[in-house]
Amino acid sequence: MPRIKKKGQSGAAKNFITRTQAVRKLQVSLPDFRRLCIFKGIYPREPRNKKKVSKRATPSTTFYYTKDIQYLLHEPLLNKFRDHKALAKKIGKALGRGEVGDAARLEKSKPRMRLDHIIKERYPTFIDALRDLDDALSMLFLFANLPSTTHIPPQTIALCQRLCLEFEHYLIVTNSLKKSFLSIKGIYYQATIQGQDILWLVPYKFVQRMTGDIDFRIMGTFIEFYTTLLGFTNYRLYTSIGLVYPPKFDSASDERGAELGAITLEGKSISATPIVANGFEGDDNPTRAIDAQAEADKVAHLQENEEEAGENDQPEWEPEEGNDAIDTFEPVATQDADILPQPQFSSSEAATLFSDLTFFLSRETPRAPLEFILKAFGCKRVGWDLVLGEGSFTSDEKDPSITHQLVDRPNLPANAFPDVPIETDVGNLVKKSASRVPGRTYVQPQWVWDCINQGKLLRPDLYAPGATLPPHLSPWVKPKQGQYDPTAPLAEQEREGEADLHQEELEVEDEAMEGAGLAVQPVDQPDMDALLDQSDVEAGQGMQIDGSDSSGEEDSDAEDQRPDWSAGSADSDVELSDSEQQRLEYQRELEAEAKGLPAPKADSSKKSGKKVVSEARKKADKKRKEQEEELERQRMMLPNRKRKLFDKMQYGNAKKDAEAEALRKKKRKLEKGEKIKGVA
Amino acid sequence: MVAINRKRKAVTRDVAEDPIAAPGDEFTGGDLEGVLSQSEDESYHSGSNSEEELEEEEDEVDGEGDDSELEEDLEVSEDDDEDIREQMRNLQTSNPPPSHTNGTNGDLQNGQDFSDNDLDRFEDDSPNYTVTTDANGNTRYIYKEIDPVYDSDDSDAAAGVNTIGDIPLSFYDSYPHIGYDINGKKIMRPAKGAALDSLLDSIEFPKGWTGLTDPATGKPLNLSREELEILKKVTRNELPEEGYDPYPDMIEYFSGKLEVMPLSAAPEPKRRFVPSKHEAKRVMKIVKAIREGRIKPYTPPVEQENEDPELINYDIWADEVPRPDHIMNIPAPKLPPPGYADSYHPPPEYLPDQQEKAAWDSTDPEDRDKEYLPTDFGALRKVPGYDNVKMTFERCLDLYLAPRVRRSKLNIDPESLLPKLPSPDELRPFPTVCANIFRDHQGRVRSVSVDPTGTLVASGADDGYVRVWEMLTGRQLWNKKLSDDEAVDVVTWRPSKDTAIIAAAAGETVYFTIPFGLHTVNPEIEQASREVLDSGFGYQANKPTTETNINKEPTATWSRPSTSLTNDGVLLTASVRSTIKVITWHRRGDYFATVSPKGQSHAVAIHTLSKHLTQLPFRKLKGLAQTAQFHPSKPIFFVATQRNIRSYDLSAQTLLKIMQPGARWISSIDVHPGGDNLIVGSYDRRLLWHDMDLSTKPYKTLRYHQKAIRAVKFHQGGLPLFADASDDGSLQIFHGKVVGDLMENATIVPLKVLRGHVEKGALGVLGLDWHPRHPWCVSAGADGSCRVWC
Repeated sequence: MPRIKKKGQSGAAKNFITRTQAVRKLQVSLPDFRRLCIFKGIYPREPRNKKKVSKRATPSTTFYYTKDIQYLLHEPLLNKFRDHKALAKKIGKALGRGEVGDAARLEKSKPRMRLDHIIKERYPTFIDALRDLDDALSMLFLFANLPSTTHIPPQTIALCQRLCLEFEHYLIVTNSLKKSFLSIKGIYYQATIQGQDILWLVPYKFVQRMTGDIDFRIMGTFIEFYTTLLGFTNYRLYTSIGLVYPPKFDSASDERGAELGAITLEGKSISATPIVANGFEGDDNPTRAIDAQAEADKVAHLQENEEEAGENDQPEWEPEEGNDAIDTFEPVATQDADILPQPQFSSSEAATLFSDLTFFLSRETPRAPLEFILKAFGCKRVGWDLVLGEGSFTSDEKDPSITHQLVDRPNLPANAFPDVPIETDVGNLVKKSASRVPGRTYVQPQWVWDCINQGKLLRPDLYAPGATLPPHLSPWVKPKQGQYDPTAPLAEQEREGEADLHQEELEVEDEAMEGAGLAVQPVDQPDMDALLDQSDVEAGQGMQIDGSDSSGEEDSDAEDQRPDWSAGSADSDVELSDSEQQRLEYQRELEAEAKGLPAPKADSSKKSGKKVVSEARKKADKKRKEQEEELERQRMMLPNRKRKLFDKMQYGNAKKDAEAEALRKKKRKLEKGEKIKGVA
Repeated sequence: MVAINRKRKAVTRDVAEDPIAAPGDEFTGGDLEGVLSQSEDESYHSGSNSEEELEEEEDEVDGEGDDSELEEDLEVSEDDDEDIREQMRNLQTSNPPPSHTNGTNGDLQNGQDFSDNDLDRFEDDSPNYTVTTDANGNTRYIYKEIDPVYDSDDSDAAAGVNTIGDIPLSFYDSYPHIGYDINGKKIMRPAKGAALDSLLDSIEFPKGWTGLTDPATGKPLNLSREELEILKKVTRNELPEEGYDPYPDMIEYFSGKLEVMPLSAAPEPKRRFVPSKHEAKRVMKIVKAIREGRIKPYTPPVEQENEDPELINYDIWADEVPRPDHIMNIPAPKLPPPGYADSYHPPPEYLPDQQEKAAWDSTDPEDRDKEYLPTDFGALRKVPGYDNVKMTFERCLDLYLAPRVRRSKLNIDPESLLPKLPSPDELRPFPTVCANIFRDHQGRVRSVSVDPTGTLVASGADDGYVRVWEMLTGRQLWNKKLSDDEAVDVVTWRPSKDTAIIAAAAGETVYFTIPFGLHTVNPEIEQASREVLDSGFGYQANKPTTETNINKEPTATWSRPSTSLTNDGVLLTASVRSTIKVITWHRRGDYFATVSPKGQSHAVAIHTLSKHLTQLPFRKLKGLAQTAQFHPSKPIFFVATQRNIRSYDLSAQTLLKIMQPGARWISSIDVHPGGDNLIVGSYDRRLLWHDMDLSTKPYKTLRYHQKAIRAVKFHQGGLPLFADASDDGSLQIFHGKVVGDLMENATIVPLKVLRGHVEKGALGVLGLDWHPRHPWCVSAGADGSCRVWC
């Protein structure tokens, strides 16, 4: 007879342990247990069957994996915690007796906790650490901006600031920042280090609200761990590119608000001089490092490509010395060969994006992110007003070497400043506001972000001060089939017949509005202003007096880009197909009706338009019906279980589709509004 | 208290002061007078040592308890004042009250009469005799009478005065006495010159007045100046005695000074002038240890404030070894990157409209799928702060508090779940539209059959007619009323191309008909058909009749019908005992089976056409027989009862298999031309596909009909099609492909629902048949029409 198995002796019941049990087993207090869990990265699990795990009738507890807790039993930190507890008792006793000196002595002899071994344990390789850096960076950047309170000592904040600045310096030196995005929550950055994408969020510089329901002890524990982690990471990163760690930190200049400038990097070799000062070229030392980084990135990319390529035969690739750009491969025969994707954006490109430009930041712009981002993309000379802190390339706004100025203020009317007549080399007199320096490009800060996300310098006139900016788009959203993509034209994405459907719906809405005696109001007027602004700025560009070489180049760049821009618009004109025109016409008629004018002559065309619409709709309906029938037929063949799963998935997809459709509908409405305005 | 003070005084005195000091000096004070007077046996003037006396007194104290002693002492101490007062009273009132004396006096104790106040204290000193002259003139000492009481000569006895014990004096307030003495005599209350006293008190405050009453005597308790002084000192925590030095200089008896008379005559030991060897040894040990470095000289701890403890100065990953992740480790999911709606300046279509805003506002903050609404700020300077601390804190909580579970994310296209159906092109051809409708029948058409050549369709209906139609044109070519009162339940063509014989069952009779006059029925075919039908007559005649046959009623009667029928082509009839519902032919056309469900033991009959012979293979059948079918290639016979389908080997005459489709009531079955698969239609709306090699249970169960399934049929001409007909008025066409490979299961694909028949009297389509080659099918409807689908 087999041995009778007892309940709760094996299997899931043994594998999981409740929190209370764990705390009892470890013989620590709950806060200590929490700290331990945070340091060691231990988290509760969700057992597959809660009822089998819990011995009690109410299975509503958190469970830990028993093995995790067993590992904790051998943790040296546990002993440290106990020492701390004993010491705290001693200090308490001494203070109770009024022996302040003793208490101070005991306080001084407090055993210091090191988390080195935990870092090594949790991240056996450097890549592992990089992979887990997202949260660490987000949190440290947040704490670097926090005011010190009783919970957060000023040393911690200073440490966070220093570590963050060091990390930013590394990114600047290696040009490994890839993308950035201005969101509501703050500024997102993405860097690629050794093939690992790291994404973190830096809040805008505002005083953060510290509401009561936030436990700063927990955050403090995390900060303790993350500072250690980022410290080791920085050490590794710096030493890997031949820099001395820790870099020299000038606390005096930091107090004067130098931020990035407070840190001076040093090469490891004796001859090396301090590098990366604002406006000065560094010596050759970091270039090697950059090469190394580029190489690493390239290898990472290649590996990815290999994975994607699968069994396709790999073309022979021999790296040439001194040429770190990836060769482009032209497929010989396109019929029976796959085309492998190749990376287009290398770090060398990032290093040269802004390298020829000199920026000046106006007082109202956020200096820290702009300085960091400009430098990370190769800009060597960034100047700003002295009120923004120390360390600028130039604090003189009139400096002739400045090519771009970042302005974030509304465009004031022309008569706000006395006009100064300026003679251009062409000879014509142009009245210009005194606040503008001729030959300089004025843009809003978003221009910088859009440029780096697209990897090229964009047309600055769209970003002129006071202009309505083009929408700022997240660089991380990949266009997916069936989902709305704001960059692509509407006609490409919509389903068949959807446009007509929407059209009809809109008409119904319009009619309802008209019936209610409401006129369709154009949204607002900024576009006109924007147009005016654009013309203004273009005029400014036309009259360069003492434009430096770099600005000239920039201008030529802009000119280069202009043709393809117009080509794009021409394409769009071509795309205005017959149906589109019909719709336009119909629209016009509607407006005429609304105004009470007699309908224009195209009465017949209107009818035909309606007919076309209804016909198209019928066709679409038919097709949809056929598809549905087919799907239903297939669904019938599924077993019951699978059918449920299928329905569930269909539900999710349908939700996504509905979202996309709603967006398209809104877009169409907006377009229509614009058209009406254009006609008016 | 006084006694204690005295004691201390006494103790210290013999150390501090000269022991030979005269005791007399101290006892000059009046306060001691009374104390001494307590012990009357002791002579005051005796030269006894004051120390002894005090010790005695101490003993007394011990014996009596503190309170009474204190009271007594205090009382005693105020004797002087009392005396003065008494004197004053004596001056004024010439006759004092009789018992006025102090209770402590020895006179009182002795109980003697004493009126003389002045002398009462020194009475003891006066001799206790009176000197008189006797008769002789000599002096004569007359001693007082000795009262022989118990303690008359007890010198140690306490001078107990009031014996009432530890009770308040107020108990005696209403009595003239205040207690009893040792002899049981009343101690009378001292007289109070109330008026005078109060007058005196009002004139001057009596010295040492405390306002208390001595409980022992009932007199007011007064303290002397010295006593008050002592009390004052005690309350100030000072030493009560004047001039007492609690910390006198030490007298050094054993000083380093060389005295003339040394205290010890021992010679100086050697260790006083020779350095210690042991000490030297120990020192050398330490020196050695220091030299060897075992003991480190003390250095003050280095201030660690300058050194940053957080400074990292080594590469932790210098010797990194990749370690495979633990199988149970679930890394924390990364936060998703921001989307377009997160932008500070999103595209306008992402901005919420009024409705969405209202919906967002009305939902609970916990239920919102996003913590913020997409907002367009227009310019970077307009972007306000965000609650990043809370966001980060929540992320922290998620990291260490949220239970993690590995979910197999269904990152698959739902389309991939769908079975890989053959493309519709592969499935074609199959019937899709109604090509022809044959309408002439009155009543329900029960059965249709397509002839083996594929040009004609025979149908039988409730009106008793059998009609033959041309399939393509729909023209009715031939008809014959077989029976007036019975419906034609089954019509089938004999499966042979060289004959044209219709077997139709109406009631218990099977009518074999050759439809004369059809263009397809040429004389040769007609001749062949006639031969097939007639060959049995000779056999029947020639056959020797066995005895068993004689006794029994014949299972079936084969006969030539009436001439009216024979003229129209009905050349042979065979009657069984009960109504025939199903006729199925063997593939060769010689055998056919009839099923009459109500026939009990005669339910299933197998007939041999060439011999006009009828056999009943089953003497007893479990359940009602529903239908039967011959195997297309093997000598196997399938019989379907209500629930089961049994297959019998006809040559070995054994039961092969019992299949259980699981249906409640089987209506019809059909065997796949390959012979290994079987479809079963049931009245409980199920269509079941049996793979006979696989299992006795159905391989697929299809439930697509709303009502009972009446007929099922495989296409027999090589197309992988089958169809079922249901009471809901529809036919469903399926693709059912059977691959020769045993490993692969049959593919079943629903193809088409053919609607057209009208439901009539809860009946829809009653019968169907396939064209022998083409993907066409014919159905018989309860609405009296037949339809051709192609």
